[in-house]
Amino acid sequence: MKASSQHWFEEHTGEVQLHLVAPTLPQLFVEAGLALAELIAEDGIPTSEDPAEVVEIQAGDLEALLVEWLNELIFRGETQHRVYRELRVTNVSDRRLRAEIRGTRPDHLRTPVKAATFHNLDVSLQPDGYSATVVLDV
Amino acid sequence: MPALEPRQVSEVMYELSRDFRPDMHVPVRVFADEELLSQMKRDHSLEQLVNVSTLPGITRAALGMPDMHQGYGFPVGGVAATLLPDGAISPGGIGFDINCGVRLLGSGLRYPDAESVVPKLVHELSRSIPIGYGRHGRLDLSSDELDRVLNEGCSYLIHEKHLGLDADLELIESRGSLPGADASRVSNRAKQRGQDQLGTLGGGNHFLEIQRVDAIFDEKAAQALGLSLGQVTVLIHTGSRGLGHQVCTDYVRAMDQALPRYKISLPDRQLACAPLSSAEGKEYFAAMCAAANFAWANRQVLTHRIRETFARVLGTGPSAALGTGEDSTLRVIYDVAHNIAKLEQFGNQTLCVHRKGATRAFGPSSSEIPATYRGIGQPVFIPGSMGTVSFVLVGADASKEISLSSTCHGAGRALSRTAAKKEVIGHELRKQLEARGIIVRCPSNAELAEEAPVAYKDVERVVEVVTRAGIAKKVARLVPRGVLKG
Repeated sequence: MKASSQHWFEEHTGEVQLHLVAPTLPQLFVEAGLALAELIAEDGIPTSEDPAEVVEIQAGDLEALLVEWLNELIFRGETQHRVYRELRVTNVSDRRLRAEIRGTRPDHLRTPVKAATFHNLDVSLQPDGYSATVVLDV
Repeated sequence: MPALEPRQVSEVMYELSRDFRPDMHVPVRVFADEELLSQMKRDHSLEQLVNVSTLPGITRAALGMPDMHQGYGFPVGGVAATLLPDGAISPGGIGFDINCGVRLLGSGLRYPDAESVVPKLVHELSRSIPIGYGRHGRLDLSSDELDRVLNEGCSYLIHEKHLGLDADLELIESRGSLPGADASRVSNRAKQRGQDQLGTLGGGNHFLEIQRVDAIFDEKAAQALGLSLGQVTVLIHTGSRGLGHQVCTDYVRAMDQALPRYKISLPDRQLACAPLSSAEGKEYFAAMCAAANFAWANRQVLTHRIRETFARVLGTGPSAALGTGEDSTLRVIYDVAHNIAKLEQFGNQTLCVHRKGATRAFGPSSSEIPATYRGIGQPVFIPGSMGTVSFVLVGADASKEISLSSTCHGAGRALSRTAAKKEVIGHELRKQLEARGIIVRCPSNAELAEEAPVAYKDVERVVEVVTRAGIAKKVARLVPRGVLKG
């Protein structure tokens, strides 16, 4: 049986290490975005009325694509004062991703996230889906 | 890999020789006492420093300062010098917060007279300075003006925007402007992130503190720096904000993609680097210098806001607030970077010295420190954690040989943020600090708990190691009286 999507934050002295599991690759990327949003802002944000934004990114490999995705959400969030919790990954391969996202303006921001890093970065296919580890600079 | 057990080579220095791992180019040296070394062994910082020793063109040794802890790629508190022209520059060796640093201001206010006015000062500062994540500043710059900040740093703000005094420039590392800066190498995305962030403190471990000088260890040096017992000082800890974060993001990506072209193989992808002589290396260096100028400009705008606030609260005129007279209200004592790469001369060699959570510590004979501090040494500020003491040191000439003219940058984290929140309850910490007479302004109790004193190493122990190593000398100790935490 495929595992449901989950994420948790692991011990790291200086930064935040994020671990993700998901049954499929699109769900893994959605879970990564949700974890980022949870870290940045408090829960309880109302549903967005903003129009969907289209995200199209590419990278040299799957691991770099995950970093690129998180950094795209960090950039958009900081410049548009938004947190993205409605995420739909419409197409993803090892090197390309297309998604539609909706953001809301949060009442209270929590942890500033500077960037996703390549340190300890891993995305791997497991018998029951995908798992990933990524360290965020906070 | 064998166990990470560095051997003691002097009272406060431990070493792993370069045969510890086959890919090392230089040994690893760590400045620590037994307790600090044992704390380092509990996380992955030593392993990360071994990885740093594999950088192409690295020379001397990969160094760990006594406040070293686990980071990403480089450990925080790591120093590495590469030999020009072809030695590597690694954006991860500077970090995302390019030119995060510390500026110390000395006031004409003294305790006990200052006791009654500090609460009002803290309150007014919290109103005039945006703190925390997502807050933007009041300075409205056009894109051309932002480019001038990036290319010229503090001198543009002072001479054309009147945000400070000409005298401030001499008292900022590199006069607040690196000559290699080129705004055209900073992406539009980075400029978008930084557009409204000048004059903001940001979040995380950034803070602004009102302090009292409570001990002087070196009278002559303290006098030269303008520090005396009971004096009120203001310490600013922040960096290049989102602009610097994006510059690092952009160039880590570019260098990661360029690794095969330069046949560079690394044990950690976040160490992505390129020869400083390559197109990628030169472009990153120009962008990093521009982001460093932005950080100095950020601390300059904050200085201006603090001076305005002091003048308003104390009822002094603008000239006193600007610190133009003998009784200057707020004078820049110094401003030092602790996330940066600098080109420095060591004998007849030019080295690219990466300092990631480490501070430059030039000695008294250096011609690159302010004229007023020659014979004394470059000031170094070592903030403790929130609620604990901070130290003012001056660099020693011996630091050049001992530690690539580098020293520690703070207390260094000992606990993760999650662990800190398990041990500390934010609102109780706020009460404890206030019971000790320390006023705290912080957007949330959870964020306060993440930066609690228990999350950090003992700053006195860290400072003791750098003084025993002969890297720097203690000048003064500062105790917090009011804290604005980002």
